[in-house]
Amino acid sequence: MTGNIAILGYGLSAIGPGVGIGLIFAAYINGVARQPEARGMLQGIAILGFALAEALAIFGLVLAFVFKNG
Amino acid sequence: MSEGPPDPDAGHPRLEESQMWNVVSYLISGPVLFGGIGWALDRWLGTGFFVPTGILAGMFVSLYLVWVRYGTQK
Amino acid sequence: MSLNVLGSLASADGGGFQTPTTSEFYQPLLFDGPLAITRPAVVLMLSVGLIAWWLIATTKRAAIVPSKGQWATESLYGFVRNGVARDIIGSKDFLRFVPLLFTMFVLILVNNLFGVIPLIQYPTMSRIGIPIALTLVVYVTYHYIGIKRVGLGQYFKGLVPAGLPGWIVPLIFVLEVITFFITRPLTLALRLFGNMFAGHLLLLLFITGGQYMIINGGIGLKIAGAGSYVMAFALTIFEILIEFLQAYIFTLLAATYIAGSLSDEH
Repeated sequence: MTGNIAILGYGLSAIGPGVGIGLIFAAYINGVARQPEARGMLQGIAILGFALAEALAIFGLVLAFVFKNG
Repeated sequence: MSEGPPDPDAGHPRLEESQMWNVVSYLISGPVLFGGIGWALDRWLGTGFFVPTGILAGMFVSLYLVWVRYGTQK
Repeated sequence: MSLNVLGSLASADGGGFQTPTTSEFYQPLLFDGPLAITRPAVVLMLSVGLIAWWLIATTKRAAIVPSKGQWATESLYGFVRNGVARDIIGSKDFLRFVPLLFTMFVLILVNNLFGVIPLIQYPTMSRIGIPIALTLVVYVTYHYIGIKRVGLGQYFKGLVPAGLPGWIVPLIFVLEVITFFITRPLTLALRLFGNMFAGHLLLLLFITGGQYMIINGGIGLKIAGAGSYVMAFALTIFEILIEFLQAYIFTLLAATYIAGSLSDEH
């Protein structure tokens, strides 16, 4: 079997941020659905949480290319 | 369209939520830029630790910029 | 990089199974080399002709009570004009950009849908040059608007948000310049290209793999081949959804960048 284990590692590491971002936006949608006036306040927090979770996914992507050939 | 005279303060109701996509481009360019600077420094000085430092520093700067632009109350 | 796992499982056939690679996407019809007339070029020209014929034919005799074709075109136009352009750019000066956004949306949508229509199964956007060309148009547009509005010096000075501690301003300035000039158009083109390329490659893999497994394999592999065809069917439906979504996201992002150049925060 030929291939590259760095890409395998990236694929596995993308599970975490995927679940995290889904949870963050599920909470945001729930909050806006219960009280639509709170939309402006919740939007800043949602974007912040999204950026923090996405940072880990971007780390995985960048490091997969850095460590590509050992 | 059947709305009557246009409201001058109508604004753009969906601009803020479509700006979430800009966050992703900030998060990508931070590590790539400072990791690239770190890699150039590594090539020039022969060391090996500037690349991870650059990536981490770039991520911190990106997160700070996202917080300043989109996370705080305007 | 090619995983020839299935090749090692081939029972009767001596050649093995070749997984689809990126060379499957280069299909020259006339000549060869850099000036070849390839299949995506012909499909792109066909799509432009089709779009032009459809739009002209449905709006030639525009009536108050619309026919079915006119109604379809009007709902599509209304969707892009109201849902994307007016909501994002604002109701003051969005009319100037509706032709650009509508053209992008319809062109990308029709070309993406060509990936699953029988006899033309080739998503044109899976060759990197075509999304890059579309992105260049958007790139020139939003920079030109921004520079024309506030002048070149103020354009660069306005990239950094106000009220930051002094020592971090140069880092943020370099970061903003790289984001604005390199990362945004690059991710715009790569997002469209990557989705179409990966989707087409997946469909190729499941269909050719299923065919190979059914033709030359034991009874277990024949059942797995049938399962592979079921997966190809499910993935085709998923692919249609992704094609609509990617056309919409490209148009949405183009409108967002234009709105960012027009707004007062920059």
